Amino acid sequence: MSSADSQRLATGGGRPRAGRSLVSRALDSKAVLRLLTLAVIAAIWQWYALAIGGLLIPTFDGTVLAFIGLLFDAEFWRAVWVSNQAMLIGFGVTVAFGIPMGLLMGRYRPAEMFTDVYINIMLVTPMAALIPLIIMAIGFGLNARVLLVVLFAIPMVIVNSRAGVREVDPSLIEMAQSFGARERTIWWRILVPGSMPAIMTGLRIGLSRSLTAMVVIELLLIAVGLGGLIINFRGAFEPESLYAVVVFVVLEALLLITIARWLERRLVPWTREGVLAK
Amino acid sequence: MIEIRGVSKAFPGRGGKGGVQALEDVNLTVHDNEFLTVLGPSGCGKTTLLRCLGGLVSWDEGEILIDGRPVTGPGPERAMVFQSIALMPWATVVRNVTFGLELRGVSGSDARARARELIEVVGLAGFESSMPFELSGGMQQRVGLARALAVQPEVLLMDEPFGALDEQTRRLLQEELLQIWEERRTTVVFITHSMEEAVLLGDRVALMSARPGKIEEIVTVPMPRPRSAHLDTVEGSAEFAEVTSRLWGRLREWQVDVGRHRRVAAG
Repeated sequence: MSSADSQRLATGGGRPRAGRSLVSRALDSKAVLRLLTLAVIAAIWQWYALAIGGLLIPTFDGTVLAFIGLLFDAEFWRAVWVSNQAMLIGFGVTVAFGIPMGLLMGRYRPAEMFTDVYINIMLVTPMAALIPLIIMAIGFGLNARVLLVVLFAIPMVIVNSRAGVREVDPSLIEMAQSFGARERTIWWRILVPGSMPAIMTGLRIGLSRSLTAMVVIELLLIAVGLGGLIINFRGAFEPESLYAVVVFVVLEALLLITIARWLERRLVPWTREGVLAK
Repeated sequence: MIEIRGVSKAFPGRGGKGGVQALEDVNLTVHDNEFLTVLGPSGCGKTTLLRCLGGLVSWDEGEILIDGRPVTGPGPERAMVFQSIALMPWATVVRNVTFGLELRGVSGSDARARARELIEVVGLAGFESSMPFELSGGMQQRVGLARALAVQPEVLLMDEPFGALDEQTRRLLQEELLQIWEERRTTVVFITHSMEEAVLLGDRVALMSARPGKIEEIVTVPMPRPRSAHLDTVEGSAEFAEVTSRLWGRLREWQVDVGRHRRVAAG
């Protein structure tokens, strides 16, 4: 091996990059860039709170401290559980009923004809307006919160599952039939896997709508869980804690959506290169 | 032997108006191990005829018999190859090929072994675990062919299988299809709108006219078998020229209107 070769190996063949400044290389890294953005936002926040903001705008460092304080507070984790209980049950019900409903509506015209109008109503109605009705009908309990989560999330799951079935290439169904497949086999071998990409999209949107519903009902009428905490902290003039709860909700949403995206990539990898890659 | 007797089929139009007579009194006999090509302009009902043969759609009048038994639906003695190829995008090549076998009751390692064998026959050895989107159009259609051959059909129904491929790929696949067919003879009904393809591949060419879809003429292709090793010589032969010019003569009679429009447009 010549000395030139060994030199190139030693520097990792990175000769063109070696001339670039440390700063421009660091800016290429996504993580660095994101941290930098965060630092800028934090700085602006801190400056605004100190210079302009009054009593109700907490400082950045105050919020961070309050956030850390919350993480060691048993009361807080009880609130997290109360909120998420409604969300998890509601989302479970949404998955269990929404997917089959959407799939059936996509495949069978009568099912579509009878339910389509109601799905459209659910899609256009601001669901928050139904909260008083729900509470009058079934009270302030867990049921009311679960129901609202379902009402928020299920239209998205139904509509996407329905679109998924409709988007399945009809020639695949014909192909299966040509080998003697009956309706049951067509469902399990063609329609369900073929709808998976759209179903996963529906679940992802449904999940974020579930989170919205969970917080909205607690803020508007049933002051328990995280929404209840927010209201309490507002009443007690503790803006740091209030902001910290909001930050927690945002982080939870980010975490759940990241998990959903990861699952999507694992379960429907073929869409990455296929026509459905979006 | 396939016997098509007096088959007619109409597609009703919306609200009872503007229906299309897709097939009108079609009579056709396909002999055992014969390679029959059906040639016709687009929209002449040739695909409908194949779907009837496959048992995928019903028809209004007449009957179709395969070895004397009437066709009432898809059957184990038939397999289809589609122009749209129809591979499951979520399944590997092997799992696409075993699909038909599994539906016909062959499963597990038997199905996989059989699939691997056919994948090799169609020249895709080494691509068993590839996903369809990783393959070119020609390779995808090889998978489609392997899937159909895997169930060991007596009748292979091919619906413009090479219609969507580019010229070079199409020629290569024509050659290989003939080679495979020469080794393992089955009855083939091959739909195409390419005159050259119909003559190169077929023992006989059934010529269809459009609206209503009718078999107008059946032309016997005189070139000897096997042809796969020297398709170019076959295409350059006097017989090829004679058969194609005869077919063209008939086709031109129905296409005269279209032709006139084209000449006006070109002039």
